Amino acid sequence: MKVVISGIGIISAAGFNLEQNLDAIKNGKRNAGPASVFSTILPYPVFEVKALPEKLEKEEMRTQSLAFAALKEALDDAGLQAPLSGFRTGVCLGTTVASQLNDIAFYTAFRKSGSADLKPVDLFLSGNLAESVACSVNASGPSITVVNACSSGTDAIGIALSWLKSGLCDIAITGGADEISRVPLCGFGSLGILSNSLCAPFDKNRSGLNLGEGAGILIIEREDFYIKRCGKPSLYLTGYGSFADAYHLTAPRPDGTGLESAIRKALSDAGVLPADICFVNAHGTGTTDNDKVEGSVLSRVFGNKIKFLSTKGYTGHTLGGAGGIEAAYTAAALKEGWIPASAGFACRDDEISISPVTENTAINGSFAVSTSLAFGGNNAAIVIERA
Amino acid sequence: MFISGIGIVFTRGRGIDSFENALKEGWRAPSWTGSFPAYRVGQEILIDASLSKKIRRADRFSRMAVLSAVDAYRDSGITVNQSENLGIILATAFGPHATTFSFIDDILDYSDANVSPTKFSNSVHNAAASYISAILDSRGPTVTVTQFKLAFQNALILAGSWIAEGRCDHVLCGCADELGTVMEYACKMKLNIAKDGKINPFAFSDSPVSVPGEGSVFIMLSKEKGSNNYGKVTETSFFQNITGKPDLFIIDTDGMSGNEKDYKDIINYGSLIAGYSPVFGSMLTGSALNFAAAALMLKNQVAYKCIFQDNPFGAKLCAETYAKNLDEIYCIKICRPEIKTIVKLQK
Amino acid sequence: MEESKEKNLAEIRKLLKELLVENLSLEDIRPEDIKNDEILFGDGLGLDSLDAVEIVVLLQRNFGLEVKDMKQGREIFYSIDTLARYIYENKKAT
Repeated sequence: MKVVISGIGIISAAGFNLEQNLDAIKNGKRNAGPASVFSTILPYPVFEVKALPEKLEKEEMRTQSLAFAALKEALDDAGLQAPLSGFRTGVCLGTTVASQLNDIAFYTAFRKSGSADLKPVDLFLSGNLAESVACSVNASGPSITVVNACSSGTDAIGIALSWLKSGLCDIAITGGADEISRVPLCGFGSLGILSNSLCAPFDKNRSGLNLGEGAGILIIEREDFYIKRCGKPSLYLTGYGSFADAYHLTAPRPDGTGLESAIRKALSDAGVLPADICFVNAHGTGTTDNDKVEGSVLSRVFGNKIKFLSTKGYTGHTLGGAGGIEAAYTAAALKEGWIPASAGFACRDDEISISPVTENTAINGSFAVSTSLAFGGNNAAIVIERA
Repeated sequence: MFISGIGIVFTRGRGIDSFENALKEGWRAPSWTGSFPAYRVGQEILIDASLSKKIRRADRFSRMAVLSAVDAYRDSGITVNQSENLGIILATAFGPHATTFSFIDDILDYSDANVSPTKFSNSVHNAAASYISAILDSRGPTVTVTQFKLAFQNALILAGSWIAEGRCDHVLCGCADELGTVMEYACKMKLNIAKDGKINPFAFSDSPVSVPGEGSVFIMLSKEKGSNNYGKVTETSFFQNITGKPDLFIIDTDGMSGNEKDYKDIINYGSLIAGYSPVFGSMLTGSALNFAAAALMLKNQVAYKCIFQDNPFGAKLCAETYAKNLDEIYCIKICRPEIKTIVKLQK
Repeated sequence: MEESKEKNLAEIRKLLKELLVENLSLEDIRPEDIKNDEILFGDGLGLDSLDAVEIVVLLQRNFGLEVKDMKQGREIFYSIDTLARYIYENKKAT
């Protein structure tokens, strides 16, 4: 039983929908600037979504607003309309910020006087990402929010794939969403991995990542169900692998074996060989450690001629949203037959034996891989196929 | 899938034996250290000299999860030779929120540019699973998931999928939630807390009382039957009516999910009914602890007495602890009439 | 002069050891157990990359010192001795 990707929705600093996103990355636009959603003394550039579509905006719930914007586009693309009744729908979405009660104003008041207006708590309690999306479309299958740090989105997609394969639902809404927030900005800053300038994934002089925000949502469904509904599929989600480093809270395992296992498992799940993969949409954050480990694993698995890129130079690192956004890009690139230049890359690093593509590049093939690595040592990879 | 090990950290201690003792012993008053009664986990329970180096940086949330996960693994007696064959799923409603607020303390006290990276790393929901995987050298799929209503049930479903798909042979599947200062405040403001410290699981009230709790439980789930077998999970389902007649129902009535009137219908099935929230407290992820009680009952073939006998609707309650043939137990959580989850366990 | 420098350095070392034990949660170690020339990272005291960035914060909060370049940090963070000397020299300069 194969699983079809029937709808794609995306919102990021690069654009409010898939078309805008593809147009921006085709033209090398990098919409980063100082943080404006909150005030901070930190100088790091961030990739913000400048204006949320008004109708969809959920009051004071930025991650939800982003997710619902991408969800609408994905459902439209799939030819579906909420409520999704009459069949079983699962919802599996990744996030980081939306899973935490971290309202600074609320906490400041509480700390001062021992009491505070509970509105942020109420919003938080109504804002579990998968729960609120499931509720909005009347989903009657499993629903869960994945909080695996930066691999949340990719793991969410893999879990949704497992559900469909095990017959737990007919359709799944999956991907990830995250908002830009002061708390992770301070946190990543303290870890010394934020760049003062635009990030440069895989570049010799890379100096860290830029935070971003956005959402990437896929609608996936059982092939038999889709064919009955719409006819011939054009994209499939064919494989998922996820393995842990069992190593460290923040550093990736230097030999990259967890990531390698994840990629190899995703390939075997899809029934393909490394040579069948026409490009890899890498995690490529622009930090010293991530890119070094990831670059060496990619060359080990795929050889030195593999075409690969990181799209984080266009969106920033959207944390829990990254896996969803990058899966959406990967699917769209397969469909359109090209991948963009890996933004920010100029100079090859002697410690990484392969280099990402430096210009918009035609691709010729049916299978692509998207990878995610996370704090805590999670590694995840998926395989997408063009029919 | 088979239940091959259980580890637990709760208000009365650590380990499946202390849980069994608590079930036998019955009600104990909660602590009153905060502004209301709660089943808190004492700091002394979270000390483990054999792990202290590996969890030196871990916060309370991670410690609860690590200790229960390590205990579940040990309890199973299984040595997973291929580390990629052991997966981890940690489900939580609120994650390590106390550390998040401690990190915000840093922002407020020292500025955005002078905050602790260690606190930040521990404030991420999946920090606990990261500690567990590093300690057990488990390299299989490892995910942390969150949901307010049915986190544990969804985790069980995922564990079942992974085992069925052959992603791993064993999954450590568990829940953890802590009761930090801010959460205490939110509980105080939003819940109907029992002033006498007594949860009333069988009152089936539309405004039930609760006594907040905290803790963690991990279940080692295995494809094959292990040497230490508690029973098996045969089905986890949502949105379905109850079919069949188990020997016992265990219900998640603890005052955390609002109206509990819909549980009343379970009386009509004629089976024995139990619910153990008064042993560990009210928690959104309390289903996992009731599940552990069910597994223990199947293994020991003992029905443990329910702690409160306030029984206005005449439910057939498990009134005392006694040896009983138990072949099948259903664990039930009802959020709204249409969201009813059934986890079926068999001997 | 030399005497007061030595005294000052000894005080810094003592304070540093206390700060490390407390802030890095070195549960089984007492401050006095840490030797002045013991290698802090890897095989020595066993600190890691997360401890390194925590020490950066610790230097900032307690001594007003900024370590911007972690490559430079590697030499400074070698042992209690090297850390104390760095603090002494840079504190004095300000």
